This record gives sequence, C-alpha cells and structure tokens, in this order.
Amino acid sequence: MDLNRPALPLQTRAAPPRNRKALASAAIAAAALVLSACGGGAAPQGAEQAAAADPASGANASGAVNICGVKDASGIYKGTAEAFTKANGKVTAKYTEIGATTDEARTQIVQRLEGKSTECDLFVTDVIWTSEFASQGWLLDQTKLVEANKDRLIPSTVETTKYQDKYWGSPFFTNAGLIYYQKDKVAKPESWQQLYAEAAKAPGNGYVYQGKQYEGLTVNFLEMLYSAGGEVLNEQGDVTVDSQETRDVLNFMSDGLKNGSADRAVLTYNEDPARLAYESGDFGYQRNWPHVYRLLNATPLASSFGVAPLPAWEGGKASGVLGGWNLAISAHSTNQAGAVAFIDFATTPDWQKHVAMDYSQAPVNEAAYSDAAVLEKMPFATELLASVKGAKPRPISPVYPQISQAIYKNVYAVLSGTASTEEAVQRMAEEITAAKASF
Amino acid sequence: MALKTLLPGRSPSVAPARPVSGRDRAERKLAFRMTAPSLVIMALVAAVPIGYAIWLSLNQYSVRTAGLSRFVGLDNYVAALTSNEWWAAFGQTFLFAGLSVSLELILGTAMALLLNLAFKGRAVLRTVVLLPYAIITVVSAITWQTMFQPNMGLVTNVLSTLGLPGGDVVWLGEHGYAMAVIVMADVWKTTPFAALIILAGLQVISAETYEAAELDGASKWQTFVNITLPLLRPAIVLAAIFRTMDALRVFDLPFVLTRGANGTESMSMLAYTQLRENRLVGEGSALSILTFLTVMVVSVIYVRFAGGNIRDVAKEEQ
Repeated sequence: MDLNRPALPLQTRAAPPRNRKALASAAIAAAALVLSACGGGAAPQGAEQAAAADPASGANASGAVNICGVKDASGIYKGTAEAFTKANGKVTAKYTEIGATTDEARTQIVQRLEGKSTECDLFVTDVIWTSEFASQGWLLDQTKLVEANKDRLIPSTVETTKYQDKYWGSPFFTNAGLIYYQKDKVAKPESWQQLYAEAAKAPGNGYVYQGKQYEGLTVNFLEMLYSAGGEVLNEQGDVTVDSQETRDVLNFMSDGLKNGSADRAVLTYNEDPARLAYESGDFGYQRNWPHVYRLLNATPLASSFGVAPLPAWEGGKASGVLGGWNLAISAHSTNQAGAVAFIDFATTPDWQKHVAMDYSQAPVNEAAYSDAAVLEKMPFATELLASVKGAKPRPISPVYPQISQAIYKNVYAVLSGTASTEEAVQRMAEEITAAKASF
Repeated sequence: MALKTLLPGRSPSVAPARPVSGRDRAERKLAFRMTAPSLVIMALVAAVPIGYAIWLSLNQYSVRTAGLSRFVGLDNYVAALTSNEWWAAFGQTFLFAGLSVSLELILGTAMALLLNLAFKGRAVLRTVVLLPYAIITVVSAITWQTMFQPNMGLVTNVLSTLGLPGGDVVWLGEHGYAMAVIVMADVWKTTPFAALIILAGLQVISAETYEAAELDGASKWQTFVNITLPLLRPAIVLAAIFRTMDALRVFDLPFVLTRGANGTESMSMLAYTQLRENRLVGEGSALSILTFLTVMVVSVIYVRFAGGNIRDVAKEEQ
C-alpha cells in the first residue's frame, strides 16, 4: 500500500496525539490484568494448615459426590460409584474420567487443585502422589478417618497415604509385583539368585522384566534393593542410597544381562512388551502386575504357568514395592461428608471382596484374600497377599518424581553399559540429595 | 521485536525521501488506529504468554510449600547452561534435526519429481502419499516401536530371516540405533509434507523454460541441475524452514520410543520433564525459553538465507 498518495477527506480529521499513548497504556493494563489473573498470589499454605475430615460426618451425608481420576479400564470406579449410590440411598456418586493415562490424570488433577476447582470431591490418586499433594495443602487430612478404619486395612497399604505423620488418603485397592514362571521349564523362585541362575541355564528360561528408562524400572530396582536390605531414604528422610546393597543389586542386574539370565531386550520393555515377550513362550520367568494373570489364562500358556510372590534376596527377606490407588478428598470439596461416606463404603470388607471378584484388583482388606468366592476368581490370592504384605512404599517425598528419575536414569546407565556401578551409585546419591534440597 | 516490525511507517519500503508532511503524519495515525485492535489482540495472544513465560523463568516456585516463590534473576538460565543435560539434549536435537531434515529434503524432492510426471492415477497417488502425514505422531511412534521390537518385531524378524545384520540388535536399547529409528520414523512421516511443498514449487516452473533448454540441446541431467534445482530452491528452502523448526522441537517420537534413553533426549523433553513431572516451573520455563530462542535463531538465519535466495531468483527471472 502506498501511504504517500493523497489523503482521503476522512483522514484529514487528525486524531489527538495522546491517542497512541492511551492505546499503549490500555494494552499494558490488559496485559497486567491477564498476568495477575494467572498469578493467583495466595499466601503460603501447606500441609500444616490443612483441614481434617470428620469420620462421623459420613453417616449424615447427602447430596452428590464427584470422584475424578484416570480412565476406568477395569470398570472398578464406575462400578463402585453405582453400588455406593444404591446402597447409601441419600448420596449419589458419579465417576469422572479426567485422563487416559496415569500421567495425564496427574496433570489434570494438579491443574484442578492448583486452580482450587470444586468440580471434584474425591480424587483417585496413585500411591506416589500423596506427599506431593499433601505438602501443597491440596488434600483434606484423613488421619481420624484412617484411624477409625485401621483394623480393616492392611498396614502396608495405609503407609502409602502417610506424609509427615498424618494420613492424607484411604487405600482403595493395592498392587504388588508377582513372578510368573513356566512350571514345565523352571523351578518356583525362592530367591533372586536362584531365579537368575535358573534363567541362565537354557535359552528358553530367560527372565523378562520392565527395564525401559521410566518409573517401572525404579519399581523393579527397588523390589530387589528392599529385599537385599537396602533403602533410598531412611526413617529421618536422609539419603542412604550410597550403600553396599545398592552396589550389589546393580552388579547383580547388569551381570544378569551379560550372562543371559535376562534378555537385553528388557531395556526397551515396559509392562505390555514384557508380557507379550513372555507370551511368545521363549522365556521362563516374568515380573509383572496381577492383571497379567487373566491375560495369560487366555493364551496357550494357560496350563503351564505358575504365580509366585517376589522372591527374597539370598540371606535377606522377600520384599516388594507397593502400587495401587488411594482415595483423597480435595481440600476444595463442597461435599466432604459425602466423600467420607464414599470412602467408608469403598473400604468395607464386603465391597473389598467385589474389588477382587468383579474387577481383579488387589483388595486392601486382608480377610478378602481368604474368602472362598474370591479364591475361586483369583486363585493366586494367597501369593498376592504375601507380596502385598511384604511390600514397602516408594521413597516418601514431595519431590518423588525427581528422586525416581535419579534412580531409573542411573540404573539404566548401568544396565545399558554407559556407566559403571560406582559412577551410577554416586551420581544417584548426588542427584537425590540435590532433589531433596529443591526449593 | 515482532511488534516493532509490524508498526506502520517503520518499514524501509515506506521510508520517505522528502520531509514528513502533516498529511503523512495524520495518515500514519489513522493507520495506527486502524491496526490497533489487531495489535492489541496479537499482544494478548502472543506477547503476553511469552512475557509470562519469561517472568516465570526468572523465578523459582517452591515444590515443598504451596504458594512460595522467589526471584532468582538469571539463575535458572545459568543452571541450565552449565548442566550436562542441556548440552547433551542440545546436541542430540541438532543431530536429529540435521539427519532427518536432509533426508526429508532429498527424498521429498525425488518424490515431488515423480508426482509431477503425467501418468494415470496421479491424483490418487498424490492423496495416498500424504497418508503417513495424516497419522498422529504418537500413533506412528507406537507402530515403529512395535516394528523394531526385539525377537518379534517386523523389522527385526525380516532382518534375521534374511540373515542381514541388525536382526539381533535391540534397536531402541542401543546408542546410535535408537536415534536411527527416531530419524526413520520422522522421515517416513514428514517426507510427504516436504514433497508437497516442493511439488508446488515444481508446478510454477514454466514449460517454456524446459522447451528452451531442449532446443539448446541440454541433456536431462543438465536441465535438472541448471534449471529445475535453482528454480526449486525457494520451495526447498521453505520446506527446510518448516521442517527444521518442527524437528528442533521434537518431543513425541523420543517420548514414546525411548523416554529419552540412549542419547535421544531432546530439548523439549527436558523442558517437559522439569515443568510437568517435577513441577519445577521456573527451571522448566527457562529451558522452554532456551528452546524457543534456539529455534528462533535458526529460523532467522534461514529466513535471511532464503530471502537473499528469493531475490536472486526474482532478478534472474527479470
């Protein structure tokens, strides 16, 4: 466009010179408005100031309760909400899916909590999120509620909801690793050393686990570390990962890859590829979660596979790492009493049987595991209970994601051969210490 | 910067040689008033989020105590630029971008030349070659992951059946091999896009130019090197700009295929981990800004280079 051509009559009415300034200041004001809206600017508010849930309030609850969490693959969340609504009569519960994967659900939950949304009364939370969410003051303190229900909950599952001596959630269902093995080829695993030795004997005996660089590798590593008597943080929260036990376990795992106990392909496996590899029939042992039982039963291996709890470290004891999901009440819930009523229902011994029978999940009530109807649907319930009771939580810290990265990246470096055990242990300890010092 | 060049009356093409008259000034004011609403909208949708991200990157936000933050100036940048992770990711991202973009341009040019030939079913084929580009990256990444799975993947199986090397390699578990798979997945997916842009460039080259060359007795190869390639350069550079900017921001392929293991962590993945997984908002924002600056510097270099090129071509045509 040629701006030098003769002006049209319209343009001769020149605008007052202050206009440009006015426009600029309007733009700045608008920008400031957006900025301040994003900032929030709340006063510091953490776990110390959190309100507490009243265990007695559930009895008089009414209204609607919205439970939010990950996609309901097994149907357990929606099923529980429906059964609760029917049984309660006064409170209606519904389940809202807010993420297709665990990571997505976490992002969605964090966004709602940061924005003080009242949309969700309850969140279904992964056991490793507890301390992070609690430290931010996002959850209702459930200590009294958990104390009231404690006699019907397996202690190890309750521990996953603990942060700074208070409980921030109630366990809903749990999860623990199991060993699946081919009864026709290999012996039942009694110790990790025996399992690895047996796996190296013949090409078709190999062991598959989750060795990709991700959270699953942290779990696989910690299961061995805990059974060897090692730990990442001690009771006081100090970093104690730089230990002989850590070195032993790392050497053991990397030797296993070199001598053929485990196939090098595990470096690319998360849960599903590990299961698929095992289903090919070319392996003797597989570490995976309980849901694999049902899937293996639908393959030609159905008659030849067995299930065992995680084995012990030679000279140590059997241990494991707890997975599973807790029910946390949002600090911004508008129906806390309804949320309490839902938790009361979900953790009853009777409903916990349905958790196992109808949805193949691991109950948090011990009696459910020896129930005849449960055993019929879940014949490995005894082994599963042994794994659950022996398992420990992952390191409890608001910076758990960073701690887990420090673990899986350095373990992966040793397994793939890019770092020595010594380098990896030192770096792991340094990185965990740095993570713990996060502002 | 973007705003400044948008302001009317600042562009060199309208710089007046004679003194500015009152009428000019009035006209400029009007132009400013007329563009002001869109400028404000642009500021709100583009400048404000970027400004906010820069502000975030100058602070640290507590992951232990809710609502606590402190101003740290350039500390987050210093920490990023002195860390091994950043420089490793930087190098890996450029390696990925360099390899994938060059392959895409070579294959894209070849594909465009083929599609430009007159043959039966050309319209159908032009649609079909675009299919990989229409598939969501995460989905295609999962497909590639399955193909390269050890023992049972398609590629590994075919290679070992034929006795070729690579059949017993854990592709996604080894340095070098993992990068190769990611480059392959990207080339497979986005070559059609490059081909389409280059095809558009091919179609504006007039038939007369080729006729003249034929009359002068030029061989096919001479025609390609002396006519097609130079005239195609603007289109190729355009494809290169788009693809490079995309490749430098690569995230989904390494995220699905390797989770950043075996030398495949990209700059965007690093920023994502800090921002989303670790909720280190300040540190993560600094990494995002550094990624943004890197992409911007590279594209400015490209635009300079391409601009000169387009002018040259225009001159030659006159």
